[in-house]
Amino acid sequence: MAREQTLADKLSSSSLWRSVVRHGYPDTQRNQALIIASNVFLHIHPVKIKRYATKVTYTFCLGGLSFFMFLVLTGTGVLLMFYYIPSADLAYQSMKDIESSVTFGQLMRNMHRWSAQGMVIVVFLHMCRVFYTGSYKPPREFNWVIGVLLLVTTFLLSFTGYLLPWDQLALWAITVGTEIGGAAPFVGNQVNLVLRGDFEIGQNALIRFYTLHVLFLPLVAAFLMAVHFWRIRKDGGISGPL
Amino acid sequence: MADITQQMPGGSPAVAIDEAKRQKLLELVRGRALARPTDLAEDEVMVWPSLVVVEAVCATVFLLLLLAASVLFNAPLTARANLNQTPNPSKAPWYFLNLQELLLHMNAGVAGVIIPTLALGAIAAIPYFDRSPLGVGILGTSSKGRKIAGFSAVFTTVVLIGMILLDEASGRTQFFIGGILRTQFGAPEFVYNQMLPMGIIVVLIGVLVTLVQVIFKPTRREMIIALFTAFVITYVVLTISGTSFRGEGQNLVFPWQLPREHH
Ligand code: HEM
Repeated sequence: MAREQTLADKLSSSSLWRSVVRHGYPDTQRNQALIIASNVFLHIHPVKIKRYATKVTYTFCLGGLSFFMFLVLTGTGVLLMFYYIPSADLAYQSMKDIESSVTFGQLMRNMHRWSAQGMVIVVFLHMCRVFYTGSYKPPREFNWVIGVLLLVTTFLLSFTGYLLPWDQLALWAITVGTEIGGAAPFVGNQVNLVLRGDFEIGQNALIRFYTLHVLFLPLVAAFLMAVHFWRIRKDGGISGPL
Repeated sequence: MADITQQMPGGSPAVAIDEAKRQKLLELVRGRALARPTDLAEDEVMVWPSLVVVEAVCATVFLLLLLAASVLFNAPLTARANLNQTPNPSKAPWYFLNLQELLLHMNAGVAGVIIPTLALGAIAAIPYFDRSPLGVGILGTSSKGRKIAGFSAVFTTVVLIGMILLDEASGRTQFFIGGILRTQFGAPEFVYNQMLPMGIIVVLIGVLVTLVQVIFKPTRREMIIALFTAFVITYVVLTISGTSFRGEGQNLVFPWQLPREHH
């Protein structure tokens, strides 16, 4: 008994539609499996998982939120890059312009700032969740180590971004921060010099922090996340009660 | 599973059951039809929709909260950077203020580099010390594990607050001991500002470990819970102290006495 074809049916059976979406409406297990397997973004997931792994009170969504915040930060960050000028003379003024004359500029900056702070908190909490559920135990030891590297990368991303507004808060926070790094035994002065590119925070430090912040560290984070997610699959999905 | 025929009563030889029958038997044993890729065991669900919905809801709720926060509160932008005008106090970003707090009490290299490196290294090494699969997937492993976490949290909070107040009272001379070592015995910086504070930390960790050992007789996992909890609480307490209780000259003040831009 074929029912009458609706417009939606016609659209979704057109060859144009079928060239993009290869599966039918996901109301059968077959199509639900195909939707995951044929979509490059969704196929990060397996087709089916253990029931406990979908419980919000197990992961509190913290790992997923860490990743989502990274995506939000990338999106808002790219928009900010269109206006921000990494020059000691112009950076501060470009921040003022973003806030006052760029459409939605203030909103973009606020979202970038608050999710940067949020990501530090959420990644830390994610580590606590993983710890207290004992999810680092074999076979997940190595993914825990990757996680620690991700935590460090998150700190560094946040820290390098802190200098960019080039206001008093930024300058002195980074001065204090690099002084902490500069106190390292034996190599302290070199560390300081490498970070600042100079004896005090100036144009050289700004361009170094900028490059680290918008290119190098995001690449490192993306690389580590790729390993992290791959490993979750290879270690048999997320942990659960035996 | 291949030996299933050999376990049949009567001890008939393995060849007695052909492949088709064997598969049927296997189905019976598993209690379900032959596995197709989309077949679900009882404790499994399809990722679409079961997990994808959870992710979508989490992401949407978070995005709405972030939007609300970003509409309501503006990111700070203070005066233009000026190298000739040092603010008092000068503070690192809040997530490093725990290190800056440590820095007040000991040598900068010890507080800012050695201790955080050791802490991160120890955290990364946890899975190589605790390999037993017991308690995976259960928050805090057991009710005893949760009790130990609570004990460690209270112990660490009390000790840290005590230490901060004591060192402040001694005029940041390493709890008077450092001051005495320096002035009475002419001890070098290496002794009173590096060895002494590290020694005190080691002793305090030792006290925690001993107390937990005596009171709870913990497994290795439970001892690591005590230590990790101590780390988390230390991070939080020192961060709060550094952000909300350190005013001009990094002296202890109440949060409402902080200079304007640090509120
Ligand atoms: C940018 C930072 C990070 C991202 C985006 C991230 C993402 C994720 C995601 C999406 C999961 C799946 C389960 C869940 O959501 O909880 C996960 C699991 C896991 N994460 Fe992370 N993570 C990050 C940092 C960390 C850190 C700092 C650690 C530990 C030091 C860590 C250790 C682990 C481990 C061991 C698992 C497996 C947990 C299990 O099987 O239950 N991750 N991570």
